[in-house]
Amino acid sequence: MEVIRKNKIVRSNPEKNPNGTPLGKTPEIDLGTQIIPKERYISDEFMEKEWEKIWTKVWLLGCREDQIPDPGDFICTNIGSESVIIVRQHDSRLKAFHNVCMHRGNRLADEGTGHADPFVCGYHGWKYDPDGSFVDIPDIETFPQGKPPCNGLSELPCDTWASFVWFSLNVQVEPLEEYLGELIGHFEPYHFERMAMTRWVTAEWNCNWKASVDAFAESYHTAQTHPQLLWYLEDLDLQIDLYEKHSRYLVPFGLLSPRVDSVGEIPPPLKAMLRGAGMDPASYEGSMNDIRVAVQQYKRATQKEQGKDFSELHDEQLTDDFNYLVFPNVTTNTHSDDLMLFRHRPHPDDPNKMFFDVWMFELIPEGEEWPPLPKHDFRPAGSTRSLGMVIDQDASNLATVQEGMNSAGFPGLWLSDQELRLRHFHKTISDYLEK
Amino acid sequence: MELGLKGKRVIVPASTKGILRRVVDQFIDEGCDVAICSRSEDTVARALRELSGGKGTVIGRACDVNDKDDYEAWLEEMIEQLGGVDIFIPGVSAGGGADSERNWWKSFEVDVLSTVRGCEVVIPHMRESGEGAITFITTTASVETFGGPQAYNAMKGSLLVYAKQLSQEVGRDGIRVNCVSPGPIYFEGGVWQMLKDTMAKWFAKVQKDHPPGRLGTPEEVSNCVLFLSSSAASWVSGTNLIVDGGFTKRVQF
Repeated sequence: MEVIRKNKIVRSNPEKNPNGTPLGKTPEIDLGTQIIPKERYISDEFMEKEWEKIWTKVWLLGCREDQIPDPGDFICTNIGSESVIIVRQHDSRLKAFHNVCMHRGNRLADEGTGHADPFVCGYHGWKYDPDGSFVDIPDIETFPQGKPPCNGLSELPCDTWASFVWFSLNVQVEPLEEYLGELIGHFEPYHFERMAMTRWVTAEWNCNWKASVDAFAESYHTAQTHPQLLWYLEDLDLQIDLYEKHSRYLVPFGLLSPRVDSVGEIPPPLKAMLRGAGMDPASYEGSMNDIRVAVQQYKRATQKEQGKDFSELHDEQLTDDFNYLVFPNVTTNTHSDDLMLFRHRPHPDDPNKMFFDVWMFELIPEGEEWPPLPKHDFRPAGSTRSLGMVIDQDASNLATVQEGMNSAGFPGLWLSDQELRLRHFHKTISDYLEK
Repeated sequence: MELGLKGKRVIVPASTKGILRRVVDQFIDEGCDVAICSRSEDTVARALRELSGGKGTVIGRACDVNDKDDYEAWLEEMIEQLGGVDIFIPGVSAGGGADSERNWWKSFEVDVLSTVRGCEVVIPHMRESGEGAITFITTTASVETFGGPQAYNAMKGSLLVYAKQLSQEVGRDGIRVNCVSPGPIYFEGGVWQMLKDTMAKWFAKVQKDHPPGRLGTPEEVSNCVLFLSSSAASWVSGTNLIVDGGFTKRVQF
């Protein structure tokens, strides 16, 4: 496809907001140009290595704090073949446990949110306090050896950060703050705790979890897969930043792609952006590519009357998509007024399947009532219900990508510089596998 | 059929791309001398370069059709340089949209008022020479419900009324006034290219609703503009020619 022009992207001056999200580009690193072997996406052996060296070692995102506000509220979330419950304590702290009764191994809860004070095993009625300790073991006198010495559920590391609750299957995991590293300073200016969760969907997809991460970590596919976005964002000249294990790219919104030219009318996606900021598209007289800065200026000037506080954000964050991968499996489309967070979870035993979680959040203006929490909506593989146009377009590629990866005719991924984050993702995976 | 266009002096405002550009191309091919403009100097300069060396000459400069003084001065300048005006093709538009009241003001100013102002400048010159042809570019969105109620449809519709009544007024002076109403027209860099990407489902439906299963081309419109503006259409005045491949479903009695 032809490139018509190079866009001039107005960047924010980081000195105006020195405590804000770092804007600087990370130094270039040489990740080579080698093929990424397809076995990483299709082999049971590789999947087992990932389980042993990654999933059971890292911090994983569990839920939002406000999904389990009261003592006894819990969420049960599965990761691979494990299932974890995160419970609000009587002292308002949070604890995570393996979702398993210490008697005969029954699961205590199904995936989703609930309230249990105490947890009661559905098999023989063993009861557990929200802090995991035994409350009652029926007929305890018939156990000559007494109760299990563990004194309750098998506890896992659990911590909170920026309104999100994290857990780890690794009892020796490093502190969460150390794991998230530089990203803490990147995310804090957005104040996720001011955003309400508005959507919670899980879709079962017929692809490897990494193929799904890949789809959200490069913009090379925009022109072919999401042609409507060419009339809304810069898809070509993106700043890519590679950290120790996490990565991001910055996608300017509010202008035309270098691949298309103005047709004289404001395209519907840009009109929606103007309206979303509180502006009237018909009154906008500037050029298509100046919409980005006009929206930034308008949002900055009207934030108080709109009940929003963007004081910690740079101007470019008022329009642009700061797109992160929190290794291994959380991708975020981070915006001033909303957060689109996707969790890419591996299947228990099939490298060709995964679970894709959509968590949407919206900034609630000060003084406005928060919407009720969304109910969990599960879409089994093959569901034709829409997850939204852009995700549907991505999903439409993934099943056929996975099929093709299994073909004898395909050796592996042949990546461009536009897909550098994929190379970095695989390097981080390799680093973990070699630990 | 002889169109008899050779040597005619033609003014086509806002004509560096799309349908109006194709109109300019064809008039030059017929040996007409044509005046063009656009808001951007660079765009005009590029168009003049591309159009030079044809069978007819081309002149023009940057001009904001929406600015009364600038537009009227440009028209007089072009008429002087061409040595008169035989054909005038007003077709500029603020485009569609139903965002606010501002759409109505813009459509009125850009689509309606600039056309009226243009006619008022060219008609005295045509009267002097005793002949002339004015062809408005209007739209099928005025003759059938299309794309939701909006200023574009209604304001372009007002031009159909104006053209008909103007044709009665100036017919005795040898001036004919007609409208060409295209349906959706596809070209690279056009609104329908953008809608194909941004409103793919709607685009597909519109395309399917055309009996031939495709949208029109700029040339299919400009062919009709040239015909109606030529002496081959000497007995046609006050009409509205629908150029839509059969897209609209009404019966035109």
